[in-house]
Amino acid sequence: MMKRFLSVKCLVVLFAACCSLASVQTLAQTKPDANAAANIFVQQVADQALHALKADTSVRAGDTVRVNQIVDELLLPYVDFEKTTRLSAGRYWKQATPEQQAALVKAFRATLGRTYSGALTRVDDATSMKTLAFRGEDDAKDVVVKSQVIQHSNTQPVQLDYRLEKTAQGWKIYDINVENVWLIENYRNQFAQQIGQNGIDGLIAALNQKNK
Amino acid sequence: MKIFQILQPRAIIALSSAFAALLLTGCATQSVVTPNPQDPWESSNRSVYAFNDAVDRTLLKPVAEAYAFVTPQPVRSCINNIFLNLGEVWSFINSSIQGRHEDALNTMGRFLLNSTMGIGGCFDLASMNGAKRISNDFGVTLGVWGISSGPYMVLPILGGTTLRDGTGKIPDLYFNQYGYGQMVHNVDVRNSIYGFEIIERREALLDVTNMVDRTAPDPYSFIRDAYLKKREAQVRGTQGEAEKLPNYEDFEDVPADDKALGIAPKK
Repeated sequence: MMKRFLSVKCLVVLFAACCSLASVQTLAQTKPDANAAANIFVQQVADQALHALKADTSVRAGDTVRVNQIVDELLLPYVDFEKTTRLSAGRYWKQATPEQQAALVKAFRATLGRTYSGALTRVDDATSMKTLAFRGEDDAKDVVVKSQVIQHSNTQPVQLDYRLEKTAQGWKIYDINVENVWLIENYRNQFAQQIGQNGIDGLIAALNQKNK
Repeated sequence: MKIFQILQPRAIIALSSAFAALLLTGCATQSVVTPNPQDPWESSNRSVYAFNDAVDRTLLKPVAEAYAFVTPQPVRSCINNIFLNLGEVWSFINSSIQGRHEDALNTMGRFLLNSTMGIGGCFDLASMNGAKRISNDFGVTLGVWGISSGPYMVLPILGGTTLRDGTGKIPDLYFNQYGYGQMVHNVDVRNSIYGFEIIERREALLDVTNMVDRTAPDPYSFIRDAYLKKREAQVRGTQGEAEKLPNYEDFEDVPADDKALGIAPKK
């Protein structure tokens, strides 16, 4: 009798363990909710990508192609590259033909994709990103979410801020700030420099050259 | 002195080839396409930048990469933390004379905790407990005292700075490098530590510089703009006014006439 009771108890425990494991699994794999609060959305995006990177054996072995794939699938869809590129191009944007605009967005997307991939090739178990409490009005359409990134254990956390816009499809990231330097702001002069020297096609070519 | 003995022949080759590069770029006068009011010396700055870049590529970066290759990440983190921890004393002094007493107290707290419980600064326990490092130097102090940054300039070997911050580097180096150096009486050991510190600092920057190499269409202005923004933020301080969000002009829906004239859209 005792034995049977024990085995039932074992089964129950096992079942419960399985359930909680399964729920952890689904929790980690739920798609980020672009209509949640901005800081929750950013945290979900980061967790999803980091979870995939940490779990991937070829990433851990230093496979940059695989890192690129994961970044492309799990990070870039939440970024509004059209807006990022448009703001970086500034007054030159309207001088470009629609084809040039599309080519520029594509080239810049690849460039920034590699920026993220480069930062993420060396993830280890200690790598984490924690968003800070959101300070701002609830109905704001243009918000900043602050976060701290730890790359390896026993290193300085890096301050990383995201700027998001509420679109019809929910939140979209369009600018990031690393240690007080905004990405778009920092690309504007470079874009102007390249366009001034070689035109918009020259800028597209320069970005694509880096992308090879 | 060991490090310098090993490096010497390569250093001479590197320096001479770098100087050749400097002369070449100096001859091919660089036209400044988009003049930046903060960078009136851009043309000559770019030449020095090219020189520094050549020195880095032939000498500094390969050595730093070799060091990263043979040393495991936890050891590098530990050594980097030790150097950063030694720098806290000078940060503390600067925060104090700027009147940023809260920053000064935090920095001193970090230094005491990390030096003792963190075993000479090897473990950054303060950061793990959420106390961020507030790095400070004499250039920032001059800025807080109301001196504007002046033009951007690129110094040979030392790299990008401004007239104000370059001046600030003199007491910085005197205190941090020379000051601590005097505590080591054996000259060979002292010079080896100096050499090692340079390599160690370069190694800590490898990820950043690789990223810039891979992604920046114009690394010179990328580094310049990032440097100037970072310094502005440091002068503004942690307790000061909130950082201003950049207000980008959006040229999405500009009427054709305005866009041809390059007029910004009205908000």
